[in-house]
Amino acid sequence: MTRFLVYSRRFALYRGFNTLYMTSPATRFLMVALLPLVWILLANVAPLAQMVEISFRDTYPLQPGEEGSYSLQHYAGFFEKPLYFRAFLRSFVFATLVTFATLVVVFPVAFYISKAAPKSQRARLLLLVVAPFWVSEIIRSFAWIVMLANRGAVNSFFGWFGMPGVPYELLYNNFSLSIGVIYLASLYMLLPLYSAIERIDDNLLEAAANLGASTRRRITRIILPLSLPGIVAGCTLVFLLTVGLFAMPVLLGGPSNTLFPAIIAQIFHKAGASWPQGSAYSILLTIAALIYVGLFIALAGRRGRGAKP
Amino acid sequence: MHLQRLVLPTYFWLFVLYLFTPLMVIAVMGFRDSNFVAFPINKWTTDWYHEILFDRDIQSSLWLSLRIAVVSTAISIVVGLPTAFLVARTKGVLRGALISILLLPAFLPVIVSAISLRIFAGKIGLETGMLAIALGHAVASMPFVVIMVLTRIDSMNRNLVDAAQNLGADPIIVLTRIVLPYLSPALFGAFLFSMLLSFEDFVRSFFLGGFDQTFPVLLYSRLRFGFDPGLAAVSTIVLIATTCLGLFAERILRGRRARSSQQKKGSPTND
Repeated sequence: MTRFLVYSRRFALYRGFNTLYMTSPATRFLMVALLPLVWILLANVAPLAQMVEISFRDTYPLQPGEEGSYSLQHYAGFFEKPLYFRAFLRSFVFATLVTFATLVVVFPVAFYISKAAPKSQRARLLLLVVAPFWVSEIIRSFAWIVMLANRGAVNSFFGWFGMPGVPYELLYNNFSLSIGVIYLASLYMLLPLYSAIERIDDNLLEAAANLGASTRRRITRIILPLSLPGIVAGCTLVFLLTVGLFAMPVLLGGPSNTLFPAIIAQIFHKAGASWPQGSAYSILLTIAALIYVGLFIALAGRRGRGAKP
Repeated sequence: MHLQRLVLPTYFWLFVLYLFTPLMVIAVMGFRDSNFVAFPINKWTTDWYHEILFDRDIQSSLWLSLRIAVVSTAISIVVGLPTAFLVARTKGVLRGALISILLLPAFLPVIVSAISLRIFAGKIGLETGMLAIALGHAVASMPFVVIMVLTRIDSMNRNLVDAAQNLGADPIIVLTRIVLPYLSPALFGAFLFSMLLSFEDFVRSFFLGGFDQTFPVLLYSRLRFGFDPGLAAVSTIVLIATTCLGLFAERILRGRRARSSQQKKGSPTND
């Protein structure tokens, strides 16, 4: 490496880079900032701006020679189509319920790993729960199809015990979808909860116990309020993940309960002038989701401040 | 204390069961000697594993996913490194604004991000296919790369750079001999993280893809239109590989965190 550097010093490019870098703070800044700023503009800002622009167009892509015209028709149309509007509401209700369910399911796990388990085991237990994180959404969906199908693992397990009425209809409904989504989302809930609960001072819990607080009281008066930042972060992550989920609802959900991302994909894949409509609906989804999450964070923040003495 | 002794551990292990049973079941299914995915399994075979290794579609989809992962990771690191430098130099409101624009792709609903990129690719005349997917994945992994490298930069001692400069090192020497070696754990972690994110991504590949399918897209279409235990076999191989890589990345990043907290405390910790 050193040898390579010494060798490359002979070249004008190397010296040029150094001289340029040393000329002035402005050029130095430009050399660092040029690539990032171009990237941010092209990759983060431009596609979204473009999408907003297209959502107001009547048609896109334009035919050669066609003059584009703008209107609010796609936004207005959304509220006139109960099919789409209902899917939109369903997505928000579903994401809210799943977020809450994930919180309830994961909270005891996070508490156990961060406080209740023997200290020497905590790191290992966390690793165990984090391990399946890198299995993709599609493979997880596949796994739950194999689990819940009529001739899947769960039904054959029940049949083995001679349960009446086997096989149960477990797949392709809201039940299978919820199970799968909670499965997918639990890690996004676990990590923020874990780090929030872990930070709670053990002395607080001990003091409360010494002063005679019951377990339930310690949970509701100390652990829950102090882990509120983790709860808010986890719920935000899980909600944003769930509300935009596309593949798993198609694979695990029922045909009659289409969620909004699937509707957007449908509109987008149709031929013809549906890009503006798809863009408008995407923007509605994004804005609604961000406002919803923002309200939640604001509300939880006020609660959190109110809880402190 | 029933709660701590009995209820919580039981609940925890039930949760672990919930996490791992589906993965075990899919691994077992890959050995079923039949054309259908179903239980019970009466005859076992390893034929599916042989067959899957020679399935042209699966081979080429895995290969495509791998190439896309490499290209998108290269892009996200080449752009992410100077971006982290840039953020580290800015302060106050500007830093906050920069970080929120940078993190934007991570907070958008994935489908919205994917569609906006698809429309933009059409606008600038980028054909759907490998390059478009790789760029889309780079957009998605950039926030993570920047944040990982940035936390490492923030923990770096400025004196190192000043000392090198005083001893006559030029900017390139400082970068390659001081800064990059110091950042290497974060860079390596970001590399693995970005590879995995790209390899697992479905939605962006689905919208930005051309005729050739990446592995998740192929899996998705097979799951919708008929599948056999062979698909369970290849899924098992992929999930084992990604889990091992993921745990490896986690170890590297955790090692870094442990070390940097040691440096802050100035004394070795004993756990």
